[in-house]
Amino acid sequence: MSPRISIRKLLLIALTIGFAVIWQVQQRIDQDRARLHQEQDELLLRSGKLLKMASLEYAPLMADLYWTRVVQYYGDKRAHNDPNFELLWPLLDITTTLDPQLLVAYRFGSTFLSERPIVGAGRPDLGVELVERGIQANPEYWRFYEDLGFIYYIHMKDYAKASAAFLEGSKNPQAYDWMKVLAARVAEKGESSETATFLWSELYQSTKNPAIKQNALTHLQLLRAEADCEQLDVLAAEYEKRTGKRPGTVRELINAGLLGGAPVDPLGTVYVFGKDGKAGINPASPLVELKNRYVKPF
Amino acid sequence: MSRVGVVARNTFREAVRDRVLYNLVFFALLMMAAAILVGQISIGIEDLVIVSLGLSAISVIGLLIAIFIGVGLVYKEMDKRTLYALLAKPVRRWEFLLGKFGGLVLTLTVNTAAMAAGLFLVLLYVKHSLERTDIAVLIAIYFILLKLALIVALAMLFSCFTTPLLSILFTSGLYIAGLFIQEMRNFHSRTPNPALEGLLRGLSYLLPNFQNFDVMASATHGRTIPASLILENSIYTAVYCAIVLLTAAAVFSRRNLK
Repeated sequence: MSPRISIRKLLLIALTIGFAVIWQVQQRIDQDRARLHQEQDELLLRSGKLLKMASLEYAPLMADLYWTRVVQYYGDKRAHNDPNFELLWPLLDITTTLDPQLLVAYRFGSTFLSERPIVGAGRPDLGVELVERGIQANPEYWRFYEDLGFIYYIHMKDYAKASAAFLEGSKNPQAYDWMKVLAARVAEKGESSETATFLWSELYQSTKNPAIKQNALTHLQLLRAEADCEQLDVLAAEYEKRTGKRPGTVRELINAGLLGGAPVDPLGTVYVFGKDGKAGINPASPLVELKNRYVKPF
Repeated sequence: MSRVGVVARNTFREAVRDRVLYNLVFFALLMMAAAILVGQISIGIEDLVIVSLGLSAISVIGLLIAIFIGVGLVYKEMDKRTLYALLAKPVRRWEFLLGKFGGLVLTLTVNTAAMAAGLFLVLLYVKHSLERTDIAVLIAIYFILLKLALIVALAMLFSCFTTPLLSILFTSGLYIAGLFIQEMRNFHSRTPNPALEGLLRGLSYLLPNFQNFDVMASATHGRTIPASLILENSIYTAVYCAIVLLTAAAVFSRRNLK
């Protein structure tokens, strides 16, 4: 064995041992650092205006970096089911101050802020503020009115304001015709599952964020389940009229010839009847877990 | 005195001759201005601003010295051909490297200690007294020093086989990458690609983790920093520096100096 080869081997062994030690020590450091809870202070500079000045001509680039940070922050919180979104608003505030034309920050940011905790910050009031700021900076962008109406309708249940937002947006010549229809329907009926389905579908189609997409999808699935259960209740009433008692299972409806087969929820589990005789989602269905995690749409 | 010690002492003396420590004047002026101005323009956070500004200045000044002088330690000796005279003497290449590393770390230690003294003087001026919680500031300064030692080792490694400009780029690049280690580990929440996730996770343990040394927020707010973290970060730095210097020595020993 030549000396050069032996040195190489020794170096390889030393490096392997060295990185093994580094790996071990790093695990311990991670545990200790978790105890520091530095996160709530990680945004020492909260003034967007000051940051904009400090960014010189690179403010849009800084805004992009801050937006990336918003997405990472939100993603990490979602990944760890952490309901504390304390830094979300300051981060969005800085991002939109640095670049008031960054439309995506207003649109997704308002969703992150408005959704119920675990999914979002549970602050629809801040969501409204962010969208209104977006409207002020970008008055030609009619989609902000859709977002504003969505927050008022879904999260704040303020149908008058939701209708007003849809109507205001519909005045933009570029706005889709359904904005006017939506304004009228919300003003007339207030809460309805058709409107909710439409709004969630719009969100599902327009977003690229997987968390928001999943959230919208779950709401749509729950809305469909609700519609199915309403249909089953109608059939159960017919069954009661015929037999004098409410059905205990879906099978009884099938045997009575009222149903061709066992109806399943959007995730494939058969519906059940509760003790009160009302149709509902099977407790064994994965939809129940999703229902508990997301805002009940009905 | 051992050969390593002689090289280290001369590296320190050279740094002093090159007026590296003049940065202390800049630091002193900055801290004095901050002490006077902060009281005028802020309410209730004077000491917080002094600590965060002071720690940031110590870190930035130290980083500039570590990177810009670190990359020139070996290259300058080769460029000026003073290395040949030195290696003609009974000094091994790895001893030369270790001495250079020790010399710059000594320079940085003296520099950082002087800045730390300045910071505490200003803090005393603003708060009128020092508290037990200010120990966290001292720990943060120690962590900055550990970080600088790691930077010096990396800068020296690159300077063993490439030009100063590229060494600066590589060292700065690794430093910046080392500040995003946690993001690399959390990448799984943002990508469905398990191969990429595994690669980033592996990289997060191979790359120097400079987030380990970031306790500035805790120090600013006087929070307790676990004693075990001091020990672990010290071991981490020692082992990582050893790995880097060992690699540097292996590269440098095989380098053709003709």
